Amino acid sequence: MQRLNGGRAMWITTAVMVAVLAVLPFILPNRFYIRLVNEIMIYGLLAMSLDVLLGYTGLLSFMHNAYLGLGAYATGLFMIHIWPESIWVAMLVGIAFTVAVALPVGWVQVRTGGLAFALLTLAFGMMFYTVAWKWYDLTGGDDGLMGLPQPDITLFGLKLASSGNSTAIYLFTLAILLICFLFTWRVIHSPLGAVLEAIRENEERASFVGINVRRYKLIGWMMACGLAGAAGSVYILYRGYTGPGVMGAFEGAGVLMMVLLGGMGTLWGPFIGAALFIVLKDQLSSWTQDWEIFIGAIVILLVLFLPKGVAGLPALFQRASGGED
Amino acid sequence: MFAITVDIVLNSLVLGGIFVIMGVGLNIIYGLNRVMNLAHGALYALGAYFGFSVVAAGGNYFVALVTAPIIVGILGLVIERVLITPMRKRSMIYTLILTYGLMFVIDGLIKFFWGVETRFIHLPEFMQGSVSLGSASYPVFRLVILIGIAAVVAALMLLLGRTRLGINMRAAAEIPEMVSACGVNVRGVQISGFVLGCMMAGTAGVLAGPLFTVFPIMGHDMLISSFVVVVIGGLGSLRGAVIAALMIGFVQTLAEFFITEMAMVIVYMLMALILVIKPLGILGEGKFE
Repeated sequence: MQRLNGGRAMWITTAVMVAVLAVLPFILPNRFYIRLVNEIMIYGLLAMSLDVLLGYTGLLSFMHNAYLGLGAYATGLFMIHIWPESIWVAMLVGIAFTVAVALPVGWVQVRTGGLAFALLTLAFGMMFYTVAWKWYDLTGGDDGLMGLPQPDITLFGLKLASSGNSTAIYLFTLAILLICFLFTWRVIHSPLGAVLEAIRENEERASFVGINVRRYKLIGWMMACGLAGAAGSVYILYRGYTGPGVMGAFEGAGVLMMVLLGGMGTLWGPFIGAALFIVLKDQLSSWTQDWEIFIGAIVILLVLFLPKGVAGLPALFQRASGGED
Repeated sequence: MFAITVDIVLNSLVLGGIFVIMGVGLNIIYGLNRVMNLAHGALYALGAYFGFSVVAAGGNYFVALVTAPIIVGILGLVIERVLITPMRKRSMIYTLILTYGLMFVIDGLIKFFWGVETRFIHLPEFMQGSVSLGSASYPVFRLVILIGIAAVVAALMLLLGRTRLGINMRAAAEIPEMVSACGVNVRGVQISGFVLGCMMAGTAGVLAGPLFTVFPIMGHDMLISSFVVVVIGGLGSLRGAVIAALMIGFVQTLAEFFITEMAMVIVYMLMALILVIKPLGILGEGKFE
């Protein structure tokens, strides 16, 4: 995979996209669509974090959504029990907690090979899911975390909006998304990013060149989990509630599919994947009860025929129309 | 006290035995094809459901014990030819994701054909009721399943140790090129390995059906447990899988006895602990034996 060059075109496209997204809540007809795009943004962030792990570092995680869940629960519990007024601090707590959990888990996981790593993410993910589900006293179990306060969103003491307002939450999400995206972009295009990609391409060679593979895998992992935690914090603010369902195995496959659909190894691909997936899921589940089968079938077809996802389409067309390879 | 001990020991053997069959099957598929079959749990569930259907259609449990794995095996062959072989040249990550998708397809199909309610496999008369062992009593059907497990494991050992196919499999898992150079159809052996692995998942399913009842997501927990077994035992090592399986079977049974709800969490922590000490598993990426 080649490293994506910034280029003016990309910056302009991104700026346009951001502008469109920022204006959207004022154009869209009703709350449903605002919340839909909001959800796409959150999951896009999650998918992007998985892409950092999978597309850039080459590590597969089957239940990355577990870390979104951890972030969500941490933020939620903090706001409910400790400081109902805070939003920013709660977010930081959410991210910090997620990273704190990701550290020991990641430490154990990176010691094993790539395949075992993936299996372990599944096992640990299920563990977190089980804990969230069974620890009724803390997390509310199946009922989920309820009674989330809705404080005002303030910036430097200035009240911006109430967090009950859909548009406010939407713009808040967009802001966080932007920060995370820029942060990730910066890292990817830094020497650290190059190291991660080197590890993805050829671990052995990377270690020959003197890279401490385990350590950098851990760094990549923590970054991905931190971003997932951020997505989780925004998620609970957006939804006002969270349950263990969001941390389940099926949702984990969903995130993977988003990355696959949109294209691994690109930063914007996962967002497209998230949009496609959420829309697809919405449509499919209103048609049929057995949409699981279709999701699975689509994953299989994607892997067989379109492994690079949407991002790979241009190349596909080029080849089909006889362009150069 | 004695009764509890008997319970725990025998239950551990039963659970561990199921894990052995699943773990070894997973390792055979992996060792020969370098594919980690994430659909293994779904195939296990399928085995249970086919078993249920055979019994419901009038056959008895032992007939189901033979037919269900065969059906799953045939399905495995189809999967291998259609999905696995085309992916041979590609990175393992993709095959992993593919089998993950396959798992959802099979799960969905199970719900589609059999519905979401729990099913019960009807057992023959003599298997109902308990038998007394000293001052303890133990359900007959569990003993029968234990015997079944032992039979399967014995058959497997015979297959791998004494038959030409088995020996070819063991060799092909280590050095396929050499086996091919000896004039053996390595592809055939690899495909057989895949089918065998699937059959084992199906067998485990039929055996587990009466134990855990038959419900659509029965494969999920079993899949995770199988991974834990395989990872702890060392990827590709059959012997490691057996040791790990029995160990996990024991730990889980014990944990379930004392804490029920969080039993699996204990298992995961044990796994993490073992991996800290021995990252490649107890027997490492060891020999295929």
